[in-house]
Amino acid sequence: MTASIRSELLKIRTTRGWYGYLAVVVLLAGLAAAGDIGSSEDFRRSLVEFQVGLVDAGGIAALLAIILGITVVTSEFRHGTITPTLLAAPLRERVVGAKAVATLLVSLVFTLLALVVIVAIALVWLSIIDAELHFTDRDVLVRTAQVFLLSVLWGLLGVSIGTIVQSQVAALVGTLIWIFLGETLLIGLFGLIDVGGVDFEGAADYLPFQALDAADGTTDELLSYWKGVAVSLVWIAAIGAAGTERMRRRDIT
Amino acid sequence: MIEVENLSKRFGKTQAVAGLSFRVEPGTITGFLGPNGAGKSTTLRSILGLVHPDAGSTVVLGVPYRKLDRPMHRVGAVLEASEVHPGRTGRNHLRVLAAAAGIPRSRVEEVLSLVELAAGAKRRVKGYSLGMRQRLGLAAALLGDPEVLVLDEPANGLDPAGIRWLRDLLRSLAAEGRTILVSSHVLAEVAQTVDRVVIIHRGRLIQQASIAEVLAGAQGATRVRSPDSGRLRELLAAQGVEVNEGDGVLLAEVPPEQVGELAAANGVVLHELTVESATLEEVFLELTGGETTE
Repeated sequence: MTASIRSELLKIRTTRGWYGYLAVVVLLAGLAAAGDIGSSEDFRRSLVEFQVGLVDAGGIAALLAIILGITVVTSEFRHGTITPTLLAAPLRERVVGAKAVATLLVSLVFTLLALVVIVAIALVWLSIIDAELHFTDRDVLVRTAQVFLLSVLWGLLGVSIGTIVQSQVAALVGTLIWIFLGETLLIGLFGLIDVGGVDFEGAADYLPFQALDAADGTTDELLSYWKGVAVSLVWIAAIGAAGTERMRRRDIT
Repeated sequence: MIEVENLSKRFGKTQAVAGLSFRVEPGTITGFLGPNGAGKSTTLRSILGLVHPDAGSTVVLGVPYRKLDRPMHRVGAVLEASEVHPGRTGRNHLRVLAAAAGIPRSRVEEVLSLVELAAGAKRRVKGYSLGMRQRLGLAAALLGDPEVLVLDEPANGLDPAGIRWLRDLLRSLAAEGRTILVSSHVLAEVAQTVDRVVIIHRGRLIQQASIAEVLAGAQGATRVRSPDSGRLRELLAAQGVEVNEGDGVLLAEVPPEQVGELAAANGVVLHELTVESATLEEVFLELTGGETTE
């Protein structure tokens, strides 16, 4: 298993896409931090909640994490590399497991990189304008931990989606459509259902990306934070289990 | 070493393999032959645990491939030359596989020079020729220094020099005592290399024999030239031998001994007496019903 994880990490680092991921993380984190600080009023920049918000911008790592999670699985099918991968490690559930662990680790790296960029910009900028710094404040640290966990959840969901869909384009495009259209439609639909006086509106909170939204810790309108994390994990496990079963049965031709 | 037992696999409406059984003995090079679409790749992928058979079983070194401990150290396989990420360099492709199999990086350099790919190793695979990809595939198969090699059409895309190189490499690998199963749809590619052949067609076994037996079956007509060919023809015809004539040459469908003895007994002068051996390709076509593709 350790060997498979090492191999998966090496796979991620040995294509040009890797530098693309890192560049996008740095760029988006930098833009978010600069935008936040630049557009804010002077007195607000010294507030703890403002600096919590800055750390929160590290959540962009989650977007890259889900793309990574999907492609870590689907690119093997796209390029046929699943054949040599399975020749080296014939137990397919182990390959899926190694991909999940590798994605988890790299999701943490993405988040770390994003936070380093954000904090570096903030430290320089806020020091220049003599703002008070709260980066060791408990609220900031809690949010930092939440941002790390969030990207891991998104990354793992990506792996689950990849194992069940297996086609790269379908998985990436399908996920985008699901996020922006599918869940919105379902939320509307749930709002309309009314069976014998029981309404289903709250059920929409249990949809995967609604649960992930709750798990970013910044909203009060959805599930509570820990419930959001738990429901996200249930989705990851359920989709991942179905996907692993599909992987196990598939003929690699 | 490799045992295929009553293997069957259907893809949709296509019966790719139907009740196929054969054995590959240790220390031999076995050619796995059949026209395109005969079921060779499906069989090899079943042996390697990539395809789930509908019925039957395959065993490598005593167990199903999936139960092998450290499989890359026991069995090396080259399937399709295209199964590499185009954006990865050849060296990194091998490093990824070495990492998965717990093989040290130094071995990557060894196999790169073994397949004569060291010079191109830092280039991305996207820019490789088909021949270079085949070499990379072979390098991957040899990473674990396995005792068994399974190669699916390794000569595809190689130029004549490449095919010769492959033949020499396979011979030297076999000389080290390895067991090799190599598939091809062109008999001539492997005829000079293999000890035994397994010929399949439409997913069924046609023949499993030593290459010598196949060659023996390839004997054709006897070619005779004589200044008195009209008389010789009559003598042969009188014995019920089928004779064809063309360009002053007789082709008799009997062994040369019979023609020579008949000529001597009747005082007929011969200028030429040779065996017109059918090429292996013709034998192959005959065995598989004259179809090379379907």
